Amino acid sequence: MRRSCHCGCLLCALSLAALVAAPLPAQEPIEALKSFSDFQKIDLNRLLAGDILTERGSLMNFPNGISVQTCFAVPSTAEQTAKRLQSWNPSTYADLKVYALRSLHTPCELADFQALDFNSSQHPIRWLLDKTAATTATKSDLNLTRDEAKALTGCMEQHSEPKKANECWTKLLFDRASRFQQKGLAGILPYEISGNTTSPGAQLRSMLLEQLQITREFARLLKRIGLLGNEATPSLTPAYYWTLFDANHHATLALGAVYLLAAGDHYQLADVGYYVSNDYYTSATLYDVWPIQVGEKTGALVWRGDFFAAPMLAYTKGTERIAYGALMLQDIKKEVRCMQDSLKAKQ
Amino acid sequence: MTGKLIRVGALLLLLVVGLRNAASAAGSMNISQELDADYVYVGGASTRGAGMNIGSIDENSADVKYVISPQITKDLLLRFGFEWQGFFFGVPDHAPVPDRLEQVSAVLGFDYQVADQWLMRAEVQPGIYSDFHDVQWDDADAPLVLGAAYLADDDLQWFFGLRVDARAQYPVLPAAGVRWKFSDEWTLNFVLPNPRLEFDATERLQFYFGAGLEAGTYRVGESFGSDHGQPKLDNAVVDYLEIRIGPGCTWKVSPNVTVEAGAGYMPYRSWDFFDPNIVFRSHNTAYGQVACHARF
Repeated sequence: MRRSCHCGCLLCALSLAALVAAPLPAQEPIEALKSFSDFQKIDLNRLLAGDILTERGSLMNFPNGISVQTCFAVPSTAEQTAKRLQSWNPSTYADLKVYALRSLHTPCELADFQALDFNSSQHPIRWLLDKTAATTATKSDLNLTRDEAKALTGCMEQHSEPKKANECWTKLLFDRASRFQQKGLAGILPYEISGNTTSPGAQLRSMLLEQLQITREFARLLKRIGLLGNEATPSLTPAYYWTLFDANHHATLALGAVYLLAAGDHYQLADVGYYVSNDYYTSATLYDVWPIQVGEKTGALVWRGDFFAAPMLAYTKGTERIAYGALMLQDIKKEVRCMQDSLKAKQ
Repeated sequence: MTGKLIRVGALLLLLVVGLRNAASAAGSMNISQELDADYVYVGGASTRGAGMNIGSIDENSADVKYVISPQITKDLLLRFGFEWQGFFFGVPDHAPVPDRLEQVSAVLGFDYQVADQWLMRAEVQPGIYSDFHDVQWDDADAPLVLGAAYLADDDLQWFFGLRVDARAQYPVLPAAGVRWKFSDEWTLNFVLPNPRLEFDATERLQFYFGAGLEAGTYRVGESFGSDHGQPKLDNAVVDYLEIRIGPGCTWKVSPNVTVEAGAGYMPYRSWDFFDPNIVFRSHNTAYGQVACHARF
């Protein structure tokens, strides 16, 4: 009995797995995508040939927020694509200006940050080093709590030595990453030192709540990571990382977590930037990945939504805001192109 | 002159406040506003034309432009506003050069995102372009500016423009420009009417070296020529052109307000009465300039 039950469950699991892995008739993912995204005309043949659809998001009532959507396809299974998206490292593409991206252990260790290196003549990294050295207990241009500003000031001792900055930032990032690993979004400390207190978690929620159709599509995932609903600690284990990259000609440190959820016939991912050192507050990238088949060709259809919150957006209005969105779209398109190349190369 | 500038300034301030209140009343509609103001003093410059030595002419000029832009769709913004610009010249008595040229106009237009990387602007400025000695219907004009921007990436953008003014000697004037941030601190902002090479000293302070181009078409009074010994200039149309070159700096007072100061050299200025073919030209003098730009 037990055995047959086990076999039954096994059969059930196998059939579910087959259902998940099997390419869907093309129409279904397209209809699903149309139901929540800004894309209403989708030609899978063109997407499989390498086209990338792009759409700037509507203006938000949330003054610091901006969003864009992209849609593309890769000649890989949905499962493989989702897994590779979760662990994708853009630092190998010079065009993307990512100086470093490293995974974090769970629980994270100080050694996870040993690749952090301020010893560079590059202007953007010098800029972050200078801002770090200029931080005082009461004033900083960086996103810090008051306690972090005090700690950074004490640690740097008003010097701007790269080695010292490596040590000080390692400690700060380690503390933030550890809190997040223990408490999830509830563990994110606010930014206090540059004026108004800003909570990255609250900013993320405000942005996502304005996108009701998207939020509905990703409801299960967003609830399980604590961005929606009352779930205090996430019930999904993400891939954690830290990164150093160029944003607006400034080196920027960020901590993030990429969550992956198998959602019936497709996969969903959320890449949540829960700490950013400067220039913007937070970001989230959502992915929906479906298996597709067009004639003999199989692949994965990917919808991507990017949401950014930045202080300067509150002052970027009118045509400048449209231009900002258009330029952001160019950057993301460039990233998607690299992502496609990377996914193709691993075939 | 100063009293007149103050009166005009006060009137414009009232208009701005009125339009801003209207904007607030519009509630949740996404509305942006632009306010640009500048003042320039150009020192005395020897001026010649029509076989005469006019003598030294100095100049005070000011410009105030306010535009309110409601966002109609994700890709379309309308533009409504006004502009006042005045050039006031210290002209010796009886010299056949207008002592002032002024523009009072509405601003009507739109910005539209045509494609992923292309933005366009169409703007018409119907109004009075005159020496304001006897304003009549034929002082009215409506120059049109068509512009397009190609956003290659964060650091490189191309601009293309066309100015159409049926009354000018050259009714259609094309232009092209580029904004290229070629290093972390340097930007070539070669866009008319103020092409510049910019250096970001800090996040708030920028130094630049560049040029300023002022150009406009105006009609002078019916008896302007007769009153100044040149009857051919009665009710004539004049193309005014001024070129300035020099360094300056801009300071970001707050994220949405920038003030600017510059000084330098004015190599060339002309009043071109192209129909009777009489041109007066000034050369080589110094200038100083202050400006303020606000975006809300």
